[in-house]
Amino acid sequence: MFANFDVSVIASSLPYLFGQGMVFTLTLTALAASGGIVFGTALAMMRLSGIPGVTHAAKIYVETMRSLPLVLVIFWFYFLVPYIGAWATGSATPIQVGAFASALVTFTLFEAAYFAEIMRAGIQSIPKGQTAAASALGMSYAQTMRLVVLPQALRNMLPLLLTQTIVLFQDTSLVYVLSLTDFMGAASKVAQRDGRLVEMYLFAALVYFAVCFTASWLVRRLQTRVAIIR
Amino acid sequence: MTSTPMPAPAAATPTAPTSEAPADAGLRAGPLVTPPPATATAGPMIAIEAVSKWYGEFKVLTDCTTRVARGEVVVVCGPSGSGKSTLIKCVNALEPFQEGQITVDGTRVKDRGTNLPKLRARVGMVFQHFELFPHLSITDNLTIAQRKVLGRPGEDARKRGLDLLERVGLSAHAKKYPGQLSGGQQQRVAIARALAMNPVVMLFDEPTSALDPEMVGEVLDVMVGLARDGMTMMVVTHEMGFARKVADRVIFMDRGEIVEDATKEAFFGQPRSERAQQFLSKILAH
Amino acid sequence: MNYNWNWGIFLEPSPEGVGTYADMLLSGLSWTVATALCSWVIAFSLGSVIGVLRTLPSKAANAVGTAYVELFRNVPLLVQMFLWYFVLPEVLPTEIGTAVKQLPDAPFYTAVLCLGFFTASRVAEQVRAGIQSLPRGQAMAGTALGFTTAQTYRHVLLPNAYRIILPPLTSEFLNNLKNTSVALTIGLLELTARARSMQEFSFQVFEAFTAATILYVLINLVVIAGATLLERYVAVPGGR
Repeated sequence: MFANFDVSVIASSLPYLFGQGMVFTLTLTALAASGGIVFGTALAMMRLSGIPGVTHAAKIYVETMRSLPLVLVIFWFYFLVPYIGAWATGSATPIQVGAFASALVTFTLFEAAYFAEIMRAGIQSIPKGQTAAASALGMSYAQTMRLVVLPQALRNMLPLLLTQTIVLFQDTSLVYVLSLTDFMGAASKVAQRDGRLVEMYLFAALVYFAVCFTASWLVRRLQTRVAIIR
Repeated sequence: MTSTPMPAPAAATPTAPTSEAPADAGLRAGPLVTPPPATATAGPMIAIEAVSKWYGEFKVLTDCTTRVARGEVVVVCGPSGSGKSTLIKCVNALEPFQEGQITVDGTRVKDRGTNLPKLRARVGMVFQHFELFPHLSITDNLTIAQRKVLGRPGEDARKRGLDLLERVGLSAHAKKYPGQLSGGQQQRVAIARALAMNPVVMLFDEPTSALDPEMVGEVLDVMVGLARDGMTMMVVTHEMGFARKVADRVIFMDRGEIVEDATKEAFFGQPRSERAQQFLSKILAH
Repeated sequence: MNYNWNWGIFLEPSPEGVGTYADMLLSGLSWTVATALCSWVIAFSLGSVIGVLRTLPSKAANAVGTAYVELFRNVPLLVQMFLWYFVLPEVLPTEIGTAVKQLPDAPFYTAVLCLGFFTASRVAEQVRAGIQSLPRGQAMAGTALGFTTAQTYRHVLLPNAYRIILPPLTSEFLNNLKNTSVALTIGLLELTARARSMQEFSFQVFEAFTAATILYVLINLVVIAGATLLERYVAVPGGR
């Protein structure tokens, strides 16, 4: 079974796995999470705006994204982004943007739909009495949002936003289908080159587990700390 | 006999033709219980001996000792947090206790050899928040434990359930669900559900404190009827009118201790402890 | 943009020799649905057991349940897919491993197992949350009537918990359905994989992906409609 388990394969590929693979994974996660939160907030605001066309557009975007498998969306954008680039720059031929840029666009736009739902639920979870109380004190709508609703909503949402980021971190492994060298891609390239699938995939699982387990543990600790006592 | 111990009028006015039979009519119709067959064991129905209980470091019950004789009605009162609900839940082992022993009808509660589900099936319990099963119809609520615990055939269980439902004056609601009944009606169903198991003793854990004031009377009426039929009852409640009317003894608890354990006359006449006096003056003040 | 749209492509014969491109996509759709349903059976039953374990008073049961959930939630699905497909046959005794590798439709069985175990961890969390959201008195009332722990779960806690968690369970079902597409990495010819091969053969990228997108959106709508009906069917009169 594990008789010919070869640790040296893992050891010798560590610089490649982490120096290239993990750096790629973390960069993609960080950029897509930031972009996703910004765009997601915009989507949530649009959905809560109450302006008929705007609310609807945001709703359709979010619902459609959420009903599609990420793998399909990755393929979509891989082929679509060059055309969008061409359209944006007025070029006659599709613009080659590279797999990383396409992956970044994909994850940002895809995760934004999920972040938007967290935001929306968070804002809606604040009792109406709070807005009423703020208005009664003479606050404007913007002040009510900024000083009363969002600070409370953010506390409720923060753990969920972070958990979603952990999910995003795991999801980035799917860039495998574009043959990119993220952490999983790197592990799989070594696995296939050296014929060491057992070692490399078990090691990859172990690393993902360690990172995600620690991160979710930290999120749980944070959650108990920021929770508003009611 | 049918007047309520509360100044508020009972919900079911005998003159008003309602869809349901008034609770009172049900009580007059006949005894709520067939007296339990005399058991071989003599002695008290419930014996609580030197029971102490801790939640971690915090001691919630201290050396509690008391008895409930067969056919006796004992009211347990005291300020909130005094441990009275905890004590009554120890009787059917819903709450574990670390020291002492409780014996119910000759069976030791804290004993590895005791079949707890079997013991509990013979001890009826009524909860503050009714705890009817919301996904089951009233009929199913009344029969499920008879069928699944006592193994009664469905038709027998149904007959007994509907019989008791009639006694608590709610026959018209057999097919409804708990969410469609008022609090007072739900609590009467809960009492019927417990009685359907032919319990030898009934435990009541603040049966009226979650009710709107106008519904307290209908539930107390059922309990008074039960007491007069000779059911052994241990009742945690603040309803002193009920205690005056049917209790044989009153136990007063404070900070996990049984401070006073006296006959009704002695308790209401001149409670000996200062704490009991203060408590009584507070709840009887208005 | 100079992209040559050709919506007629779906009626052209696929290079596989039998059927059109449309048939190819529909065959992918049926693999997607079959995989989703089979894995859901595992996910729902196993997830319920694990979820219940996490609500029992026993420390050991809790530890087992928690370990399961943490293990399956903290490793990406793609990695789990590879572990089941590439690693498991290698660490099994040689004869069994070889037999597994030679199974017809091995990607399908692997995907069903992998998704079943993966989604079970999510179902478990919902079941646990559902049970814990019930008033504590419900379990007590069951116990006081003489129910054993198993009977209390069977007759009181689970029927109520499932009703409460029906909406999040529907989401998990849809997630499971979408996750079947990850199995294209181990060679399952499900919908996304078929759209991808159609794109490779015909070069009609956007027609292929548009069709797949519409099919996914349609299944979502069907599932949501079904869940709404189910919710109405199991709703308790006068319920919360």
